[in-house]
Amino acid sequence: MAQRRTNGSKLLMTVLCVVAACRAVPVTDLLDRASQRSDRLHSLSTMLTQELKMPEMAPLCLTISAAFSVQVVTNSPSRLQDSHFPPIGRVIMPRPAMCHTSSLQTPNDKEQALQVSESDLLSLARSLLRAWVDPLLVLSSSANTLPHPAQNSISNKIQELQEHSKSLGDGLNVLSGKMGPAAQTMSLLPYRGGNDLGQDKISKLINFQFLLSCLRRDSHKIDSFLKVLRCRAARMQPEMC
Amino acid sequence: MMKKFGEVILLLLLLLLFFVPHAEGTRYSLPGKPALTRCRSPEKETFTCWWEPGSDGGLPTTYALYYRKENSETVYECPDYHTAGKNSCFFNKNDTSIWVNYNITVVASNALGSTFSDPVDIDVVYIVKPNPPEKVAVTVMEDKGWPFLRVSWEPPHKADTRSGWITLIYELRVKLDGENEWEMHLAGQQKMFNIFSLRSGGRYLVQVRCKPDHGFWSEWSSASHIKVPDYFHRERSVWILITVFFAFIFLIVSWCIHINSHSLKHCILPPVPGPKIRGFDKQLLKNGKSEDIFSALVVSDFPPTSSSNYEDLLVEYLEVYIPEEQELILEESKDLHDGCLKPKGSTFDSDSGRGSCDSHTLLMDKCGEAKDDEQQTDQDGSQTGSEAQRQQAAWEQEALTYAHEDMISPDMSSGRVKTWPSVFSPLPQYSLSPLSQPSSLETAKQHCLSDSLFPPASLSSYLTQPGQSTKEALRSSYSDFCSSNKQPHLLHPQPDARHHLQAHSDVNISSIGHKEAPAGLQLPTVQSTEYVEVHTVNEDDMVLLHPVPSGHSHGKGCLQMHQGEDYSKVNGVDKNNVLLLQRDVIEEQVDMCPCENQDMNGATESCCTSAQKSIPCIHTTLPVQEEKAVNGYVDTATMFPLPIH
Repeated sequence: MAQRRTNGSKLLMTVLCVVAACRAVPVTDLLDRASQRSDRLHSLSTMLTQELKMPEMAPLCLTISAAFSVQVVTNSPSRLQDSHFPPIGRVIMPRPAMCHTSSLQTPNDKEQALQVSESDLLSLARSLLRAWVDPLLVLSSSANTLPHPAQNSISNKIQELQEHSKSLGDGLNVLSGKMGPAAQTMSLLPYRGGNDLGQDKISKLINFQFLLSCLRRDSHKIDSFLKVLRCRAARMQPEMC
Repeated sequence: MMKKFGEVILLLLLLLLFFVPHAEGTRYSLPGKPALTRCRSPEKETFTCWWEPGSDGGLPTTYALYYRKENSETVYECPDYHTAGKNSCFFNKNDTSIWVNYNITVVASNALGSTFSDPVDIDVVYIVKPNPPEKVAVTVMEDKGWPFLRVSWEPPHKADTRSGWITLIYELRVKLDGENEWEMHLAGQQKMFNIFSLRSGGRYLVQVRCKPDHGFWSEWSSASHIKVPDYFHRERSVWILITVFFAFIFLIVSWCIHINSHSLKHCILPPVPGPKIRGFDKQLLKNGKSEDIFSALVVSDFPPTSSSNYEDLLVEYLEVYIPEEQELILEESKDLHDGCLKPKGSTFDSDSGRGSCDSHTLLMDKCGEAKDDEQQTDQDGSQTGSEAQRQQAAWEQEALTYAHEDMISPDMSSGRVKTWPSVFSPLPQYSLSPLSQPSSLETAKQHCLSDSLFPPASLSSYLTQPGQSTKEALRSSYSDFCSSNKQPHLLHPQPDARHHLQAHSDVNISSIGHKEAPAGLQLPTVQSTEYVEVHTVNEDDMVLLHPVPSGHSHGKGCLQMHQGEDYSKVNGVDKNNVLLLQRDVIEEQVDMCPCENQDMNGATESCCTSAQKSIPCIHTTLPVQEEKAVNGYVDTATMFPLPIH
């Protein structure tokens, strides 16, 4: 009886080992896939923010959002390409520091970023990604009724954002499992903006744009962290970097 | 709030400044409003901002850049105004933070005041524009004989791609020297690229640029020149060889065709032999039925049953061939007939289909007639009547002809036998014996035979039966003899007293023709051919014929007739001393050898004359048979009595 058990357990172990070995995907490949997905994520968010910066939104009245601090911003025709200032003149715009993920401590320059360990980098990426699951739901629900001429395109992109975010989250979970317990830790960054972006049309648009700007930055962070991880993991393959 | 207050104070100061110079009446003013044009970071570690100054207001103006980071109210001034050039501000690594919004403002100030520019918010990570790739190297390499370009480069030295801080993707463009169109290639993250499909001997320009994953494209690197070596020799030489080879083949084929064009024509389009029967309507053959054809061949008014003018049947003249050594003196008698044919030379007509009686293949001339006439006088025995004389003369002539033929057979190289043509029947004589005339006339109907149809060798085939009358012999001999078409014409009544022997030869010929078709014909066994040879030529230029003793004896009494006596029966002699021969035994000549009465029902109905009646003589006489069918050949001359021309 005991012999049978030992034999059975041994057999099971070997099978599991074989399965695990067969299923093993190199970390570099996983990171490569994750980098690609995060790249796509960031591209989508960038396109969304650019799509929202429409000319007809320029003549907007000054409004005050209750949830965010307001700041008077003078109307200035932007000649800076892809600068982060909103083209909407005289619009109270929440500051980027008001993003719900701003509490997360992330490296601010290259030296700091390169000093972060891989586990921490992965943990940061996962935390940021996790923090945007709920806001994306709010964004997608608001996009259906967004008073914007490109509402349909925006809605589709947000849908794609959600899909990519989910798949990236799953991939990072798998990756974290391979990188040790330190990678498993995550910071919680809850979103407290509620399910509604605003009552009126202007506030809706403003809040929508603000959320998208926050998303843009955070997706860029995720993308950067993963690409640093990818290059670190592929020391044997310099062509990856 | 504080900021608002500060702004208000500044405005007041500016107003004061404005008024002061205005009061003084100077032209100085505040500096114009500067504007930030762009800020760029080459490697996501430093960045630079450039501005554009406004009007200076006539006074020396200084510019200052102030910035403020997010989450902080501290205003900093630009740390470096010179590194990046004029009107620029360079932020080094220490002053650069990423994922942080910068609020930058430029202030222009002169003695009168300052002017602030519009603030600009930037995030460093979004303004990355790297430097162009460096160390662009282009080399020509070969791949199985075909060259290609290998372009390799390095990322800008400032960009840290090793650590993954910046991920660059590259793009290159190629163009031929002198052209305007660039060929773009996206290389991705690799630092090497191969360009194929090059023009041999071409000179190319290559440029490379790069872009961060989320940023701006760099400037194009400096152009690298490269020259592709000539390699088309191998490619084109093959085509040249192939072209030459096929041209060569084509020439040979066309030459062969040209050489064999004639035989090819015969192969592809063999010549169709057509019937060449004079007087024969080809259209009938094409259109009509056989009955029509044959009926057309049949002359309705032939044989003449009534005592028509036998002149219609007269043969004007015939052509007789006489070998020179056998000068049987068929001399021409001008006074004889106009229609007499002149002796022609042995000019054989190679036209197989010509049945023209006026061809020079005919062997009758006027003198022959004269001879016949003379011979007729020498005839003994049965020449009682003029018709008999005539007939005999006719037959004499025939026999003569035959004799000639026999003797001159070796001369007939072309296979054409010149035989006695039909003899002429004198008109008066015919008038006397109309009955006999028709017989002779009918028998003597001109008919043309194909010369070539019956080579002399075939004569013997006909001459199978012994005892054949001279008529038969002559007839067979006439197989090769072509009567002139004129003969029917000659049969027309001539105003002058022409003594045209009836074309007994026609009869003979027809009988000969009949002989050729053994089947269906009731040829008696007595159809033996008798050979006639020229006996003598008397002083009167008369040809005396006598039969050649042959092995075949015809009949009981007939043989005697043939032996030792003249072969042909003279029908009569006309006034012009033309011997009228007649072979056939007519009714009147009851004592004539029936052998001679063999009227071979030749192919022509000319043979089928009433004269061809059975004679009391024993021998078989060919019943008159009217054969309208063509037995092997058509005696058209008898069919269509053509006018003498």
